[in-house]
Amino acid sequence: MTASQAVRQVFGFFGFLGRRTGKARVFALLGLMPVVLAVVVRIVFHSRTGPLASVFTEILMVFFLQFYIVILALFYGTSVTAEEVENRTLSYLITRPIPKPAVVLGKFAAYAALMFVLVAVSLGLSYFIMNAAHLADPALYLTFLRYLGVLGLGILAYGAFFTFLGTVLKRAIIVGLVFGFGWENVIQYFPGSTQRFSIVHYLKSLLPYAPEGRSAGKGVALLLFRLEPTSPLLSILALAAITAAFLALACWLFRIKEYLYEE
Amino acid sequence: MSVVIAAANLSKWYGNVLGLNDVTLELEEGITGLLGPNGAGKSTFMKLITGQMKPAIGTVTVRGRRVWNNPEIFQGLGFCPEHDVFYEDVTGWEFLTGLLRFYGYAKSEIAERAARALAVVDLTEDKDRLIRGYSRGMRQRIKFAQAIAHDPDILILDEPLSGLDPLGKRKLIRLIKEFKNQGRTVLVSSHVLPEIEALTTRIVLIHQGKILAQGDIPFIRELIEAHPHQISVRSSDPRALAARFVGDRSIQKMTFGPDGQTLVVETHKRDEFFGRLTGVVLEAGLEVEEISSPDDNLQSVFEYLVGK
Amino acid sequence: MATVREKGYSHWDGRLSARRFPWWPITRTGIQLAFRKKRFKLVFAGAFVPSFVFLVGLYISERLEDFKAFVRGSDRLLNISPKYFATYFTNDSFLFLIVLVLAFGTGGLIADDLKHSSLQLYFSRPLGKKDYFLGKMSVVAFFVLILTALPGLVLVIFKLIFAGSFKFFLTYPWLPLSILGYSALLTLFFGFYVLLLSSVSKNGRYVIILIFGAYIFSNVLSGILQGIFKIPALALFSIPSNLQQAGAFIFGQKLPHDVPAAWSFAVLAAICGLSAAVLNRKIRSVEVIK
Repeated sequence: MTASQAVRQVFGFFGFLGRRTGKARVFALLGLMPVVLAVVVRIVFHSRTGPLASVFTEILMVFFLQFYIVILALFYGTSVTAEEVENRTLSYLITRPIPKPAVVLGKFAAYAALMFVLVAVSLGLSYFIMNAAHLADPALYLTFLRYLGVLGLGILAYGAFFTFLGTVLKRAIIVGLVFGFGWENVIQYFPGSTQRFSIVHYLKSLLPYAPEGRSAGKGVALLLFRLEPTSPLLSILALAAITAAFLALACWLFRIKEYLYEE
Repeated sequence: MSVVIAAANLSKWYGNVLGLNDVTLELEEGITGLLGPNGAGKSTFMKLITGQMKPAIGTVTVRGRRVWNNPEIFQGLGFCPEHDVFYEDVTGWEFLTGLLRFYGYAKSEIAERAARALAVVDLTEDKDRLIRGYSRGMRQRIKFAQAIAHDPDILILDEPLSGLDPLGKRKLIRLIKEFKNQGRTVLVSSHVLPEIEALTTRIVLIHQGKILAQGDIPFIRELIEAHPHQISVRSSDPRALAARFVGDRSIQKMTFGPDGQTLVVETHKRDEFFGRLTGVVLEAGLEVEEISSPDDNLQSVFEYLVGK
Repeated sequence: MATVREKGYSHWDGRLSARRFPWWPITRTGIQLAFRKKRFKLVFAGAFVPSFVFLVGLYISERLEDFKAFVRGSDRLLNISPKYFATYFTNDSFLFLIVLVLAFGTGGLIADDLKHSSLQLYFSRPLGKKDYFLGKMSVVAFFVLILTALPGLVLVIFKLIFAGSFKFFLTYPWLPLSILGYSALLTLFFGFYVLLLSSVSKNGRYVIILIFGAYIFSNVLSGILQGIFKIPALALFSIPSNLQQAGAFIFGQKLPHDVPAAWSFAVLAAICGLSAAVLNRKIRSVEVIK
């Protein structure tokens, strides 16, 4: 079996397992919150399109960008390795004729796909409900794809980083929480280049600046507060590099490390 | 017979604790029992030969190929772990077919192999039940099934009989023996001596990370010449028998059994004693009901070797 | 006639004496297990940083002349009053640190018992649900009180020492009661909160995520709702906001949100009530496998 075939098989196995667990349902339920809010807001503000558009771009995106994808990536990313060690099921995987890195990559891909589906459904429903009055406008769909792309890149970058943490640390979740909800929330507001030491900076740099119906630069959106954006191309490259680097590190560490079960 | 698993100067530390101490051994085809008390190093050895841990010192090979980070060897090696753990919320069928995916088989072959493995372990009727709802015995059998589903030449079983009821043990022992009869190699670990005795006469005794002895039970027994053999003779007049042997210098000790009908003799020269016994019995016209060696079994060999 | 026993098992015929606090071994073990985790000691020590910062503030407030060059305009900032203590107890980072310590140190209190099917071990002893619950709750209480009541009272004592008089205490005699009262509120709330989430899953990592996630999510949700609808009462969706409202009320300060404090107390009580109901259902000696 080639390495890519092995990755595909691991992807299939964990894609199946990941969908099955109750935790996926809990996270899906969490993703319903912006959908419910979108419905409520549409009912309350149904005649005013301006506030509707800004609610999505300035408020709901805060939920997606700074909470939902972080919490998903934290749980699923650290689960790639830590779950197998905690549950003692690692023996079933590393005594199969597949290279160890294939386990990391395949499982990461499976969980990333699952997270992407959860986010896409939640984002899609809330976005199109909020913008139901403009469904004929093709620009709406392009903007949606852009938002989805940003969140997808966020899932990959955060997921890769937390996968690396889960491979190297025993208590990765605590470090992950401090990073995801401490460092990321604070450093992005620092002026100058310091902002670039966070993943969320590059994600925000890729967002469309002006909400629908407003001229660019009017007011300061909550999401873009103090942002000194990096160019979109560099942001994509940075996120891709973060993903590739941390995944490579995770694969290498998983290959050379021994994992002892706690007795 | 060819060497299947070879360890040379194998040592493993857990921090400051020595888990395995300079183990050199070669395992051949057939069933080999790895016997030792809890914490002796059996699981450490099993993890080293299945590539779950890397040796600190020394080497371990399977059919001449190194184990660590060499996934190809698992095409022909099956491992049944000690821990009673599975993936959550899967049925027996899903568990088996899921793991068979990693061997490169086509979908139809995966289904065929899974069905065959389930039939071998008698779980066909329960294949669509969640493993969570299986009994302990069923869970041990499904673990065995995942180890044999890909038809490996070599089977490594870490405490496979632990937690099973007597019927479950008998079933699994029968399965392991059938597997061996197909020409495969099996390494079984246990801390329960009768289990190993039921499976094989070829054992490796391990204690505190060191190999104490290796070979057939009677052969090991013979090696321990420093320890006298015990022979029990049940007779109508044990005291008369004892009187005939009291001057014999090859006899270390004589005691009488609690029933008053048995004479238990300890001697370094077992064959010589048996030779003399026949003569004595005929001369004295004594009736002998039974002759046995109470310590010619694994328990006494092991207890002597670990100094208990 | 003397009884001669064989070497081997013999049944103990003695009498069990009733323990005054049968739940105490559970508490003691829970605390020991928390400290056995390697990085927990670091996190726990770090949780005292706010107390240390505020202690330094107390010292500087009494030595403003000496520090004038460094702290221009700080006489307003370092006016030591119940507001100083309310700020200490209700600031976001302090509450976040408590959640961090509890998630790390006590997240597995019930989750680990569920994972290893240990509930049967507890209830096969002369322990009831009440003892089990009290034992586990006391572990949380230990950590919360050590981070709240202890430094709070120590700050008052050091204020008196640095000031060299009892004037502060005579001006605000109810302050120690406020400190104890708010510490008790935090203990009770976080006790129910942590135990509720710990009982929801056998997976320790998932429980830690739940403890953090629910806390942060409540704040995010409240922020989003207030951002959209501009209704102050929506602050009630946020756990930290409710704790800050309760804290401001207990210390006699201006409420941070334009919502009656009683509503915040009601929300916190409702969470405790929900927790009690779920725990009563979850903690039982027999696991039902469907």
